[in-house]
Amino acid sequence: MIGPLRVERRLDTPKWLKVVVPLASLVLAAIIVGILLLATGHNPLSTYHQMYSAAITADGALSSTLVYATPLLFTGLCAAFAFRMRTWNIGGEGQLYMGAVGASATGLVLGDWPRPLVIIAMVIGGALAGMLWAEIPALLRAYLRTNEILTSLMLNYVAGFFMYYLIYDSDSYWRDLTTPGASVFPTGKTLGSHANWPGITIGSFTLPLGFVIGAALAVGLLLLIRSTRYGFEMRVMGDSPQAANYSGIRTKRKILSVMAISGGVAGVAGSSQIGDFGHVLDPRGLQQAQYGYTGIVVAALALYNPIAVVLVSLFIGGLTNAGFALEGPSFPTGLVGTMEGIILFTVLGGEILARYRISWQRRHVVAVGTGVAS
Amino acid sequence: MLDAGDGRAALAAPAVLASDLPAGAVGRVPKALAVQAIEMTKRFPGVVANDHVSFDAAEGEVHALLGENGAGKTTLCNLLMGLYRPDDGRLIIGGKPVRFHSPRDAQGSGIFMVHQHLRLVESMTVAENVVLGSSSPRQLRFSPRAVERTVAEAAERFQMSVDPRARIWQLSLGERQRVEILKALCRGARILILDEPTTVLTPQEADQLFSSVRDMAAAGRTVIFISHKLPEVLAVADRVTILRNGHSVTTLPTAGTDADDLAGLMVGREVSLEAVAKVTHEAGPAVLELAGVWARGDLGTEALKDITLEVRAGEILGIAGVSGNGQRELAEVITGLRPTTRGMIKIGGARLPTGDPRGAIDLGIAYVPEDRMGTGIAPNLSIAENLMLKSYRAKTMRSGPVLSSRKAIANAREMIERFDVRAPGPRTLIRQLSGGNIQKVLLARELSSQPRVLVAASPTRGLDVGATQYVRRVLRDTATSGVAVVMISEDLDEVFELSDRIAVFYNGRVVGTLKASEADRQQIGLMMAGAA
Amino acid sequence: MNSNIVLAVVVSAIAFGTPLVLAGLGELLAERSGVLNLGVEGMMLMGAVCAFYVSQELHWSSALVLFLAVVASMVAGAAMALIHAFLTITIRVNQIVSGLAITIFAGIIGLSSYLGEVWNIGGVAGLHQFNQVNLLGLKNLPILGPLIFNQDVFVYASWVLVVAVLYYLYRTRPGLYLRAVGENPAAADAMGINVTAYRYTHTLIGGALAGLGGAYFTLALAPIWTDGLTAGVGWIAIALVIFAFWRPDLLVLGAYLFGIFSALGPTLQTHHITALPSEFYSALPFLMTVIALAAASTSWANRRIGTPASLGIPYTREEA
Repeated sequence: MIGPLRVERRLDTPKWLKVVVPLASLVLAAIIVGILLLATGHNPLSTYHQMYSAAITADGALSSTLVYATPLLFTGLCAAFAFRMRTWNIGGEGQLYMGAVGASATGLVLGDWPRPLVIIAMVIGGALAGMLWAEIPALLRAYLRTNEILTSLMLNYVAGFFMYYLIYDSDSYWRDLTTPGASVFPTGKTLGSHANWPGITIGSFTLPLGFVIGAALAVGLLLLIRSTRYGFEMRVMGDSPQAANYSGIRTKRKILSVMAISGGVAGVAGSSQIGDFGHVLDPRGLQQAQYGYTGIVVAALALYNPIAVVLVSLFIGGLTNAGFALEGPSFPTGLVGTMEGIILFTVLGGEILARYRISWQRRHVVAVGTGVAS
Repeated sequence: MLDAGDGRAALAAPAVLASDLPAGAVGRVPKALAVQAIEMTKRFPGVVANDHVSFDAAEGEVHALLGENGAGKTTLCNLLMGLYRPDDGRLIIGGKPVRFHSPRDAQGSGIFMVHQHLRLVESMTVAENVVLGSSSPRQLRFSPRAVERTVAEAAERFQMSVDPRARIWQLSLGERQRVEILKALCRGARILILDEPTTVLTPQEADQLFSSVRDMAAAGRTVIFISHKLPEVLAVADRVTILRNGHSVTTLPTAGTDADDLAGLMVGREVSLEAVAKVTHEAGPAVLELAGVWARGDLGTEALKDITLEVRAGEILGIAGVSGNGQRELAEVITGLRPTTRGMIKIGGARLPTGDPRGAIDLGIAYVPEDRMGTGIAPNLSIAENLMLKSYRAKTMRSGPVLSSRKAIANAREMIERFDVRAPGPRTLIRQLSGGNIQKVLLARELSSQPRVLVAASPTRGLDVGATQYVRRVLRDTATSGVAVVMISEDLDEVFELSDRIAVFYNGRVVGTLKASEADRQQIGLMMAGAA
Repeated sequence: MNSNIVLAVVVSAIAFGTPLVLAGLGELLAERSGVLNLGVEGMMLMGAVCAFYVSQELHWSSALVLFLAVVASMVAGAAMALIHAFLTITIRVNQIVSGLAITIFAGIIGLSSYLGEVWNIGGVAGLHQFNQVNLLGLKNLPILGPLIFNQDVFVYASWVLVVAVLYYLYRTRPGLYLRAVGENPAAADAMGINVTAYRYTHTLIGGALAGLGGAYFTLALAPIWTDGLTAGVGWIAIALVIFAFWRPDLLVLGAYLFGIFSALGPTLQTHHITALPSEFYSALPFLMTVIALAAASTSWANRRIGTPASLGIPYTREEA
């Protein structure tokens, strides 16, 4: 109860409400941002129009949007998959870093192999690295019941320092020591041409291979969740841990495997960063981008549905792209985060309307009981 | 003595009021009435928990509320402590009529309740926990030493021996209970309500508790305690009020009564006609065997002690007893949800691995749990998915790792039809169904796995008449088809109606096993109350 | 080893540690009530930008302007925290998601940057600054002088706050109640403590202190505003609270330890004193925290240490 308002969980959320509420939230967000824009001397409609074109219609806009969307697609899937089962993996950031490390190592070592093999190896290398990194909090949670939110968070920092060390503070395999400027401005070794992931050009825009892989993963994960034994067990565990135990589901193993998959997907995000873009291990760039954490909010906006994650990653990617493309006096970069934040607040807050029914309660109800006499 | 044949005995014999007792009758001079409950009535949807219940207790009196499950004891106490508001009736505390809107109000009148589930912060000290309850947040400063001293003085004064510096996790359950009582006393409790206080105590701790209770009474306080244990009631209470089916049967001074009478009043004496009318058939070989089984409960105490039972194919073994005497733990060890510490369980001769739900399922054990919404189902999944909860691993339900949703839906339709589940369709979310229909889904699921043993706990609790009849019929038919059925029920009528044999649980042990046709209510009542 | 180097490292550690202590204490209080706040970085940036704005725009005496700037930073931080509190406590949104939303909303590409642009305060040197004071005139004492008696008000405030929070937690009734709310909200509720009020209050305080920590950057350290100038300090504060196991005394030690490690690393390397890379030292506290968390989960430790068990879980009183 919130004051005189009675909040009851709905027995059933009508289908139309599930669609209308997020849309209404977006509209509300657009209005709030519009007010903010007006208050600071900008024209909301023209700003939105500019953003739309910078994200989608302008030359090369869609391709840029996809560049931003690709990592978010993976990290969004990473979070969505884990969160559904109430294993709160917020280590996607660190798992991405480790994936990048793993993939660049694979790409460097196998640089001369035929291209398709190198790409596959990079995906595997990144996935394995991410998986292993995720298993640390997974093991602690499964066997010691340690809170995985805290442990996966800590490991993000450790992964960051590790990555930093490889490039900026050591003579490691990953570091480029050949060029004259290398000792002064440390950079990673650039991977060979076989490690460049091809893009798929469709009309006027280019689809990064990573995005295609990610979309395929999204479909795969959805099928896994909806149609397989494994997914069924996941859904039962996420809904009621006691029912899962009672039906004989091996919960420890589930935790380990779900976290492994989740971490592996984040690891592939790292592979994609190396293979699709950059072609070099760039710790600073990765740490600034915060793809892992942003992926969590993408997952939340997508209500943890893998297909929706694809769409939301495109949306946020477009938003980010527009922000950077339009950066200038009439369009401060700060607008991107502000808009994302307001969208998040309205959508998250609006979700309560879909889940609960709010009605006016005149009398304060004091009685709390089970309805069963004893 | 008094015959409470049909339960409506409120008018059959006048209750003995404290003021009626001659001085010295129970060793105490009659004092002013501390609490008077007059015609208290409380209704919940579908049930009248308290139906014009009256009782009173004097200052310095220890008063027991006796009754089996569903009698209305806890509801009455919740009314006294302000958690519920009565639909009818009056409450007079210390001579003044009162109307409580919340537990705070009741506490203001000096009424405090010590619940079965203690509300203490484990890592903090006794002193800190006592202070947490105190209602003087205006005092900002908190000095551990000063508070410890205050609590030590209070403990001394109230004769509750606890170490104020001890941390709660270091204390035994009996000591923790003492902290709860001390908390109430420090907040000015004049009337203390104890809800089944000896459930988790060792016999020594129980004795200590009773000694404290007597001390508190001697100091002029009133102690009301809820119990189903006759030996306790007779030992500690001055008077006892027996409740049954929401009515107060009568109030008696304990000095002039004995266990037989009380048991008779508690459960009634009539012979259960249904038991005789059952079709008796030859039971088959023993399918479920427990030998010397011990198990620990959630609080670390021994919940099951040396249980030896057997259930044959085709028979229903009814487990009678007041809830909290080990029945839940029994169901959990049979179904693998709780490990045993000693002893062995066999299904059809094969040993059941301890604490392994999957193992139990594989050996053919089906379980309809008491906690339907929590353990039995995944509330946000569909009916079809819930029906699959145990069978999804079977080869028929899948091709490789992929579950066949077509088969699942078809299967579900068939079961919905067969068990007459009222629902829009197999894809409906299960939490939208009524209690009775959820129970049908549970039964459908459990029975469809062709089990050898079915454990059903409180199978008809909270169901309407129609659903109740249906479930009981299903249980009977299941037994007839050759399954060994263990039915745990708090409803003695139901136990008598359905069981072939009855095992009575008290304090974690089986205190008696008898054929239903040979048992009488009073005898069972005595066993349930620990007085046999 | 050269005592100047040691001194330089310690001084730098204090500078690094001060905003950590401020924001960390705030997060500690919020987490003690059971609310995990991952939006600290955003709240610090909001505090920083609002403080700077006030200090640039008001043309009054330095002392007054700085005071108002500090107040502004705390209000800004608390305002962000109010959003988080409302979402997580009343609407019961997932605390992780809400906190991250605040970080995105207010962070380096969010509102703080937007306001910096709109107010046009970026890249310009600050007009007012908290300078080091000469406490008790003892700034020239050897070693202790520069360390203890020659710091700015923020540093002294952070020390006072550590003592204040310690006293609050362990020697006052509200502090006792707070600890109960975090460890066993059901028990606290049963004893008449308003769990919701405690969570709201301490989350807001957490935001205010985060804002204050942010103000350190724009009012004391090097008074200038740039996007994201806290450079991840907010995130380290979150880790620090867990590393310190929610204890203020360990928090301040940890803050300076983190500071020493981050300053020490490069120093040791330049002087070839150690073979281990500086990143190892930087990562060490986080690794130690993971190990400590694992050890604390064993039931032996769990009962003794009393972590806010309800952290991250919204509290609902059972209602029929």
